[in-house]
Amino acid sequence: MKALWVVLRKELLDAFRDRRMVAVAFLVMPLAVPTIIGGTAALGARKQAAQLESTLALPVIGGKLAPNLVDWLGQQNVEVTAAPADPDAAVRAQQHDVILRIDPEYAEDWRNGRPAGVEVIFDSSRPMSTGATIARVRGLLDGYSDTVGTLRLIARGIHPAVARPLQVGSRDVATPEARFDLSQQLLPYLLLLLAFIGGMQVAIDATAGERERQSLEPLLATPVSREAIISAKILATAIFALLTITATLLAYRISFALLPSDLPESSFAFGPRALLQLFVVILPVVLLGATVLTALAAFARSYREAQGYLPLLIFLPMVPTLVLMVAPVRTQTWMLAVPFLGQNQLILRILRDERIAPGEWGVNLGAGFALVAVAWLVAARLYYREQLAASS
Amino acid sequence: MSYVEGLRKAFRTRGGVVQAVDDVAFEAADGQITGLLGPNGAGKTTTLRMLYTLMAPDTGRVLVDGLDPAVEPGRVRATLGVLPDARGIYKRLTARENVAYFGELHGLDRRTIAERIANLCRALDMHEFIDRRAEGFSQGQRTKTAIARALVHDPRNVVLDEPANGLDVMTTRALREFLLRLREDGRCVLFSSHIMQEVARLCDRIVVIAHGRVVAAGSPDELRESTGCPNLEDAFVKAIGTAEGLYE
Repeated sequence: MKALWVVLRKELLDAFRDRRMVAVAFLVMPLAVPTIIGGTAALGARKQAAQLESTLALPVIGGKLAPNLVDWLGQQNVEVTAAPADPDAAVRAQQHDVILRIDPEYAEDWRNGRPAGVEVIFDSSRPMSTGATIARVRGLLDGYSDTVGTLRLIARGIHPAVARPLQVGSRDVATPEARFDLSQQLLPYLLLLLAFIGGMQVAIDATAGERERQSLEPLLATPVSREAIISAKILATAIFALLTITATLLAYRISFALLPSDLPESSFAFGPRALLQLFVVILPVVLLGATVLTALAAFARSYREAQGYLPLLIFLPMVPTLVLMVAPVRTQTWMLAVPFLGQNQLILRILRDERIAPGEWGVNLGAGFALVAVAWLVAARLYYREQLAASS
Repeated sequence: MSYVEGLRKAFRTRGGVVQAVDDVAFEAADGQITGLLGPNGAGKTTTLRMLYTLMAPDTGRVLVDGLDPAVEPGRVRATLGVLPDARGIYKRLTARENVAYFGELHGLDRRTIAERIANLCRALDMHEFIDRRAEGFSQGQRTKTAIARALVHDPRNVVLDEPANGLDVMTTRALREFLLRLREDGRCVLFSSHIMQEVARLCDRIVVIAHGRVVAAGSPDELRESTGCPNLEDAFVKAIGTAEGLYE
């Protein structure tokens, strides 16, 4: 145990004397994460506001056939413009989000009281950028249809309510914290990513680097057991990662407290209790990452080879986020045992200020630490290979 | 005292199996300097690595002060001071911190470490750079730091792999005196070298290795006698069969 402490202290001293390593961990990361999340959120909010409130330029084909509709659209903050010759191609080429086409039979159908045709031309493959505009145009058309229909019923002496058997109201029960926004999706991923590979430089330097600089062989020739050496190196990696995360979360919290913004306050305003819970959730991920990185560094033949595995590790914490994006599911207890997925769910719930039952904590932390133990056994085995020290 | 017997070690490489060490046996006694002489690639480093528990022999037996590394690797390592072929030191640590780290790894307390470092600093003439960070050290400064690190726990058995490699003349002289002093203290000193003059000058017993086998062994007089060469260097060449790789 004493030897473990000796090695741990030396590894941390060594890491903190590496200026470049310290700069990346405590300057670049804490600046990058709030910038990425804040920037994306601000961009999204501004775009949404622009799409809803600005004057919408809407090309209309055959506008002369429906002068009343065009007039009405004009009153609704829509500027009707001339349509391009090939509307399908124009929409596909992203020159216009939406084009409205008035059916050639529109005037005649209208006069005869038949449903008159209008067509909304759009591209559904870009829902993020055009979804709001499409919904806005559809809403306007529905509104016009409703208004004229109501007037027609009144003209025939029928109460408009007859044609409306349902009165649909809606009530949003989401707490302010739980309101969806993009930053909430990004934070769990970035947090898990930092937890998993935040200590990568220390891990690679302490094993692959130590071997490459030829100081591993003398170290292994001391009476200290390899289990103690590897545990100390893993702990040094984990401590470095935790410090990076602390600096990042602090920078995140401070930067959003300082910035006067119209962003949804919710996702940035977590208190000390939530912060503590976040640290508990990511602790197994930090240890797992440190262990896996150390094992990889012991497995790789060189510093460069060890770095080559990093893209794979960056991808891992992304998997549950991608799965949830494609197939959103209700949280079930077993999911909390799945690495990254479980942590992702818990982080979201902490940010949403939801209660997490002791049993759920147990499943998540139990599975997490069990996986750490397995990874540790693998890493220790790799440290016993003769090729590890005898590189030359 | 170190003792090895019937040591064999083979490595699988892309080109096939290489028998690096093939039935090596020798004894290194206390109060003597024993030299392993052989050209590069003769199996010296692999033999020493098996002695200081970094590698397990395929067959054969190692005993260090009567302890078997296969059974008690930790205790064997505690009795050994090792200067491996790989002598990297921590660049972001000072020479003193490098040596002190290994003292702590051997379980020494702070006061003992400070005393030992003061002694080693004097013996190896390290005053000039002892408190400088190792980044940018010369080869000689690095080797001195590595030797101090290997001896900080005052081991009874000292194993040095090619200690004179890359040292300038002055440092080599200092090293030679240092090894002689260790012998006077009654320690078991075992070192490997591919330089005949170095071995001829220092060693009480010489083990000549070529192609993984011991081709001759004994005191300088015994070697001269058995090969019939009055000159020790001629005796080495005759035992190995070639002079290639035996000069600096």
